[in-house]
Amino acid sequence: MSSTTASTAVFAHLLGNPWLRFAARRLGQLLVSVWVLVTGAFLMIHLIPGDPVRAALGNTAPVELVEARREALGLNNPLWQQYADYLRHLFSGDFGTSMLSGMPVSQVIGDRLPATAELAVLAFALAVVVSIPLGLAMAVLTRGGRRRPVELAFTSGSVLLAVVPEFLVAVGLVYVFSVELGWAPVAMRQGASSYVLPVLALSLGPASVLARIVRVETLAVLQAEYIRTARAKRLPDRRVYLRHALPNALTATITVGGLLLGGMVAGTVLAENVFAWPGLGSTIVSSILAKDYPVVQAVVLVYGLGVLLVNLVVDVALALLDPRSTIRES
Amino acid sequence: MSELAFEDVTVRFGNGRRAMTAVDGVSLTVPSGAVVGLVGESGSGKSTLARAAVGLTPVSGGRILLDGRPLRPRGRRPLQMVFQDPYSSLDPRMTIGSSIAEAIPRGAVPGAAGRRDEVARLLELVDLPADRAGCYPAELSGGQRQRVALARALAGRPDVVIADEITSALDVSIQGTVLNLVRDLHRSLRLSMLFITHDLAVVRYVSDYIAVMYLGRIVEYGPAESVLQDPQHPYTRELLAAARRPGRSAPADLDTAPAQVADAEPADPHHPPSGCRFHPRCPAGPLVHADRAVCRDAAPTGDGRRNRAACHFADRAADRADTPPPGGPPGDPRS
Amino acid sequence: MTSRARWAGVLRTPVGAAAAVLLGAVLLLAVLAPLLWGGRADEVDTARILQPASAQHWAGTDNLGRDIFFRVLVATRTSVQLALLATALGVAVGLLLGTAPLLLGPRLGRLVTAAVNIAVAFPGLLLALSFAVIFGAGASGAVPAIGLAIAPGFARLTQTLSATVAGRDFVAAARIAGVGRFRVLLRHVLPNIAEPLLVNATMAAGGSLLAFAGLSFLGLGVQAPGYDWGRLLGEGLNGIYLNPAAALVPGVAVVLAGLAFNLVGEAAAKAVGPRTPTGTVRGDSFEDGPPAPVDRTGQSEAVLVVEDLKVSFGTVTPVRGVGFTLRRGEAVGIVGESGSGKSLTALAVAQLIEQPGRVAARRLDFLGDDLLRTPPRARPRLLGTSLAMVFQDPTTSFNPVQRIGRQLAEVAEQHLGDRRGPALARAVDRLRAVRIPGAARRARQFPHEFSGGMRQRAMIGMGLMGEPKLIIADEPTTALDVTVQRQVLALLAAVRAADDVAMLLISHDIGVVEQVCDRVLVMYAGRIVEDLPAAQLRDGARHPYTRALLGAVPDLATDRDQPLVVIPGRPADPAAPPPGCAFAPRCPLADDHCVRADPALLDDGLGGRVACWHAGELPEPVRAGAAVLSAATEGEGR
Repeated sequence: MSSTTASTAVFAHLLGNPWLRFAARRLGQLLVSVWVLVTGAFLMIHLIPGDPVRAALGNTAPVELVEARREALGLNNPLWQQYADYLRHLFSGDFGTSMLSGMPVSQVIGDRLPATAELAVLAFALAVVVSIPLGLAMAVLTRGGRRRPVELAFTSGSVLLAVVPEFLVAVGLVYVFSVELGWAPVAMRQGASSYVLPVLALSLGPASVLARIVRVETLAVLQAEYIRTARAKRLPDRRVYLRHALPNALTATITVGGLLLGGMVAGTVLAENVFAWPGLGSTIVSSILAKDYPVVQAVVLVYGLGVLLVNLVVDVALALLDPRSTIRES
Repeated sequence: MSELAFEDVTVRFGNGRRAMTAVDGVSLTVPSGAVVGLVGESGSGKSTLARAAVGLTPVSGGRILLDGRPLRPRGRRPLQMVFQDPYSSLDPRMTIGSSIAEAIPRGAVPGAAGRRDEVARLLELVDLPADRAGCYPAELSGGQRQRVALARALAGRPDVVIADEITSALDVSIQGTVLNLVRDLHRSLRLSMLFITHDLAVVRYVSDYIAVMYLGRIVEYGPAESVLQDPQHPYTRELLAAARRPGRSAPADLDTAPAQVADAEPADPHHPPSGCRFHPRCPAGPLVHADRAVCRDAAPTGDGRRNRAACHFADRAADRADTPPPGGPPGDPRS
Repeated sequence: MTSRARWAGVLRTPVGAAAAVLLGAVLLLAVLAPLLWGGRADEVDTARILQPASAQHWAGTDNLGRDIFFRVLVATRTSVQLALLATALGVAVGLLLGTAPLLLGPRLGRLVTAAVNIAVAFPGLLLALSFAVIFGAGASGAVPAIGLAIAPGFARLTQTLSATVAGRDFVAAARIAGVGRFRVLLRHVLPNIAEPLLVNATMAAGGSLLAFAGLSFLGLGVQAPGYDWGRLLGEGLNGIYLNPAAALVPGVAVVLAGLAFNLVGEAAAKAVGPRTPTGTVRGDSFEDGPPAPVDRTGQSEAVLVVEDLKVSFGTVTPVRGVGFTLRRGEAVGIVGESGSGKSLTALAVAQLIEQPGRVAARRLDFLGDDLLRTPPRARPRLLGTSLAMVFQDPTTSFNPVQRIGRQLAEVAEQHLGDRRGPALARAVDRLRAVRIPGAARRARQFPHEFSGGMRQRAMIGMGLMGEPKLIIADEPTTALDVTVQRQVLALLAAVRAADDVAMLLISHDIGVVEQVCDRVLVMYAGRIVEDLPAAQLRDGARHPYTRALLGAVPDLATDRDQPLVVIPGRPADPAAPPPGCAFAPRCPLADDHCVRADPALLDDGLGGRVACWHAGELPEPVRAGAAVLSAATEGEGR
């Protein structure tokens, strides 16, 4: 009796800590998202009109083979049982077998994931490292209607880069640097130089959008009254921008631009196809075309998890930067 | 005209650890044809009470009666409300004529021509030319918009009008126009009215009765003269001392409260204090008089007291805060 | 400005016009190209397979010898058509999901919102790929795939926008009037969010055009023998070494079309977005007004001397020649309505006007130093330690992500050369001086953990980090509750009394100024119209505006049986100051002379200054009575 009251007290005390409350809330949110993702991936196969096995094996395949494959995949079981099996297999790391190659899907993923992850992480880092100083500098230079030509050049340049999708940037880069100048290899993943173009192609768009957001948010922050307070304290400009404006502009940027970084995970699909990059992106496309559903299912799952992970990182960064966000119950 | 009565009304928001009781067992009557002024600081729950009356916020407990009959839980009520911000209370995409016409109850006036005439009549009632019906809100000044909002409220043929801080968003030179209009309308139409504001001087000017609200509870209620001339609750006295009055004040007169009271943190509505909710800031409470622990333990009721003042020590004139404050004037901040 | 005029305005901007022309060209091409060149695009020429670009085939030929340039032109229709179809589907689904919370009520609505929030977290391309698996590769599968992929984002936008509109008072008023949910949505919510939604749908169309090209490029979109830009691009990429044009031409087509949609959207967004009011350009400016008189009494003791101060933003001059002197320990209040220029005067004195604002003055001396001519580098220390500012809204005046103690300590580190530790100790000491309970603990807290009154005390404490000689308080109590207002005013008074600090108090509330100031400056339309001792305010005010201000707001002594004094008309527009007395259109005493000639601020020999041709005259008695009401309201009704 006393132990339960003690543990309730401890529990109540823990709940009183805003960071733990934030962690609990965010973890719950993550679990729900993962569940939705897993269920979505499971249902994806079952929503395909007609028989996926027949579709995969083609119309000429003998009935016995189709039936045997259906049995092996458990497609003849009731739906709830298939769902339960699917979840159980996932927990033990079993993603099924490729219909095409007969290899375990987990092995396909294991082979392909590192190439994609490298690309995504490098592009992510480049986008962040370029966009924040650029956006801040542009905001400071063009605040209050100063230097109109600079503003025009920056905004039109960033709009253009933002509109052009990564695969077209990739094509353009290939044309200029590989075909015309011959500086970089056209495709494949061989040596450090082969990373340059894919990473650039993937990060240019998001970097320009992010830089634009940083600029807009910084301009908004520079209008804020606490910046006027900082100026009233007669702090040097550098301190006003870096200590007072930037942290606030970043929280706003992360709130607006967080989804963009998640989008880069999916952007790898197109970039990989241009550069024949041996990652998950080329795998998913060939698998969709070949109707190799277990592989598709697993790759979608991995991409989805990647996105959720990026979103988690973004939220944690936001919580660290903005003391109000842990208190603010979403 | 009708009598609006709140009976033990409670409004709660949220649940779990975020729960908040914005209005806590409020009983208040707006007598037929009278203006009741409701004063209180921000967060006291006065606007929530208004929104509950017109059905914008669900009531968690108690009843709201009109002439003794409970109001319909949903649908049109014979109550209308005028809001604080005239820039937000009119649809920018609608002419003011159609905004007013929308509030006319179905079947009240026959035909489109009838509605047009009714809109013109209402505009003239609030001293706006009838040909303004085709204007959009953007073409009007703040004061004019607030008069349109009043006309819209009157279009609903209300039994009671609730005015929520209708002058606080207006420029000083415009406030007088709107207050004069409220007084004139009240006199000519004998409207029952609940007039909400944070400004005791404004309330004094328009109200027959005054109710003072603090942290979700009514702490004093009575005829305007009585509440202003002989305030019973320490919070009312504090409001009165802060209200605008002509003349210059010495620094010491600006803040006569004892230091421990002046430096008290305002209460958090999410975690209201126990007992009397005013006790952590009260100059007649346990902060100043150590022997008054009852304020911490028991919530006072106004029953049987003058102006229904919800204070344990309301009737002890000797304990008023206007006895010399023990804390003295604020000390030298540079020391 | 009507919405039609604003949309027309979009076309007049260079970007808007170019984008509209581009979009028109793309749409025209989509209609005409297959009719004009359909034959040439499908013409197989086995003799000329995979030719590079030449005069005959501008973009070369494909593996069946077909002309790629014409194929790109003809592909416009398929590409645009499919993109628009997908957008229409996405917008429709998004609208349904986005308005559902409004129609379904809070409970079901929360469920829909949560579902949309989860879907939004996943990138559109991933959703499109997943849907492509379900619907199968091909145009008929890609349209719903892309449509459903853009739906969550659109739903979320609709949700946020409609929630904002639904939270506004006019929707509450409609609900009180008994208007049903569906009618509220149709009449009040949708018309108010239609423009941003349209802008976003335009951009979404550009986005789905690009997404479609992506899917086709991957081989998941349009299937042979059909073709769109993405497919042509994918085919061209294989031979990029032999014939770069085969990849570049469809690429350029995609970019141009995508850009057309997006730029039209951007330009429209600028036009319909929140607009900052820009002052109307007027030829005649303040220059020819009467010179502001000089107040030279007792300048030896002066903390602040201001002569002929002007603040302008472009062609608008909200402060038109203000002059006053503040002596040591003196408290001067500036009262006026919004737009009278009182806050700008305070900011200009504090040297806090930012570009594009410009400050000019004949004289602006602080503690004997000429602020307009001191080199900027010499100024920070003087202003940072001797001039304290208190702003109106303590909620927004502190940096939300920095601890209160640090924000105070910064001043000592910067100007007094203190190290981190001593600076923080001084900050705690100053917080104690402004009577913040538990100062050491509170110094470690963030601004949002303070109440409004405590935050304003901390703001005053920040000013005390140096050795202030002047406190400029801009509406310091307006955002606070009445009982807290008094405490803050008392604190300011105590700080002043302790060290003979001068104070410039800006307020719209003549009562507050009367209570705590020695002298009152009344501002109207960028000028001081009256300057008098606070003690003479009730009996000695000579300007009709000052008198009206005193009577317009009730106080505890107002006669309840008399109507309040009314100032007819609107406050003067700073963008268009009249040639004569700015108050003349609202003044009961005004005559022709007032309308033509601007009165100068003259010494009245009684210790005050007044700018009025009829200073001290009383209005005719009939105007004081009830008749003022009708006259006044007609005046305001223009």
